[in-house]
Amino acid sequence: MSHDAERVQSSPEGLDWYAIGAVVRKDLTAVRRSKAVLLPMLIVPSLMLVLLPAAIGFAASRAEPVDVTRFLDSLPAGIADPILVLPESEQLIVLVMGYLLAPLFLIVPLMVSAVLAADAFAGEKERRTLETLLHLPIRDRDLYVAKMLVSYAPAVAVSWIGFLLFALVANGVSWSVMHRVFVPTQLWAVMIVWISPAVAGVGLGVMVRVSAWARTTQDANQLGGAVILPLIFLAMGQATGLLLVDPLVAIAIGAVLWVVAAVLVITGSRRFTRDRLASRT
Amino acid sequence: MDASAAIATNGLTRSFPSGVAVDDVTFSLPAGEVLALLGPNGAGKTTTVRLLDGVLQPDRGSARVLGLDPFTQGHEVRQRTGVLTENAGLDDRLTARENLLASARLRGWRGPAAGRTVMELLERFEMADRADDLTQGFSTGQRKRIALARSLLGDPELLFLDEPTAGLDPTATRDVAELIRTLTEGDGRTVVLATHFLAEAGALADRMAVLHRGRLVAFGRPDELAADLWAGMGAEVTLDAMADGPMIAALRAVDGVLDASPSASGAALRIRDRSVLPALSQAVVAAGGRLYGLSGQPPSLEDVYYEIEQRAQADHLAAIASNGVQP
Repeated sequence: MSHDAERVQSSPEGLDWYAIGAVVRKDLTAVRRSKAVLLPMLIVPSLMLVLLPAAIGFAASRAEPVDVTRFLDSLPAGIADPILVLPESEQLIVLVMGYLLAPLFLIVPLMVSAVLAADAFAGEKERRTLETLLHLPIRDRDLYVAKMLVSYAPAVAVSWIGFLLFALVANGVSWSVMHRVFVPTQLWAVMIVWISPAVAGVGLGVMVRVSAWARTTQDANQLGGAVILPLIFLAMGQATGLLLVDPLVAIAIGAVLWVVAAVLVITGSRRFTRDRLASRT
Repeated sequence: MDASAAIATNGLTRSFPSGVAVDDVTFSLPAGEVLALLGPNGAGKTTTVRLLDGVLQPDRGSARVLGLDPFTQGHEVRQRTGVLTENAGLDDRLTARENLLASARLRGWRGPAAGRTVMELLERFEMADRADDLTQGFSTGQRKRIALARSLLGDPELLFLDEPTAGLDPTATRDVAELIRTLTEGDGRTVVLATHFLAEAGALADRMAVLHRGRLVAFGRPDELAADLWAGMGAEVTLDAMADGPMIAALRAVDGVLDASPSASGAALRIRDRSVLPALSQAVVAAGGRLYGLSGQPPSLEDVYYEIEQRAQADHLAAIASNGVQP
């Protein structure tokens, strides 16, 4: 071939970022054209992070002030006190937008990472493209890193963009009452920067395991649903608690999630070998 | 093992939960030759290709591919091999160009060189006009062309073609076989053609390896294997009618005729070699027959394969019977 001089052989040392980039580029192009993958990634965050807060904020800002004192009395003083000092007209909005909607936010990174991981791992089997990939000169570890990045980076990006939109919507629809920017709160910041990426990692780690056994994306999503859905509900319950405690506790719980994600991803990488993948195609 | 061979295996064995896929396979293929890896579905052809390309690890045995150990140097082996898998393995959400570009980048081409290389191959395989179409709408033949182009991206020294014409209609089969012929001629590339389409194997292969239930039951040049299987060669005598008893007796009396029997067009014979043919024509005329045709028929790869496969199956059944197990 005439362009051989322009070929570069990968080094055996370290990760081959060029090869990783090639797989990531290919997969992201494919995902961009796949309605089955793209629609859940866009619709669910749009509903949860834009339409729902918009509707709630719109209603709350136009309703008569609601007395939430009794509810706030049941919360830890560290959370309730800053709300109780607010004017009564602001209390419901801050409670709902600043705290109660937060658990829903964790569904987004979990769901997006799960959908993308199913497509990246089980999807290769379903499309019958895996064997071709296994015969190409890319090391197992580079392929694993590429597939993780393809699933993880968009999940975090969608979460962060979703949160940005949420903040814009929450502050926008509540402006007539609040007259100031009140989202993100300190706890929201911990959630976005620290907990949400960890949750995406947990979802990814679970789906890598599930996808190893599944033959199709649908199988992976169904199997993942048995694991991921309970996790979602657990995450929602925990997040409600997380946001109602001290930010330091939230950071600690985030650290636990990071450890779980790391264990899942690292043990997944040890099982991610050509031999195992080819044996199951 | 022969260190100079393109491929040398020794006792290669691999099992799956469903059973032994490749069982104690040993062979050596010189560089620049075309090997037809033959056998029915499930014989172990694809597993052998996967083992030789370092995709699967063996349970036992060893191999050298292009002087490398595919089980510890799989990445280096794959940099020098190209593989056409049975399924074309194209991502339908990508265009033909995008499918090939991803592979070109993984094979080390960077920047515009990757694009130029891809377009050269698409032109070579007459798919340049479809470069920017999603492969979703492509026919099986077009997909094979794209996949064949992709297998050549690294200008591989060793090419594995796994069932290259499976699923193609007769015209596409002829086209793809013709493309493969161009790949196997002249440039010194070693090719392993795993197939159960014997016509294409017969037309292309220097050597044949026959796998039966994972075991290598024959390896060699078709004519050498034929010589081991049968004495002499076939011959067909075409008469105005099926040969009768006196005609068969006259043919059998010719020096060098090993066997003769009536056939629909006259008589089918086994003869020592082609030097016997002139005497056959004289014998037919002398016996009062009307000779319309006379031809020697050296066994084809197809004849050799079926005979080997039949004998392997008979041996297998005999082994089962002797162990008192139902097949």
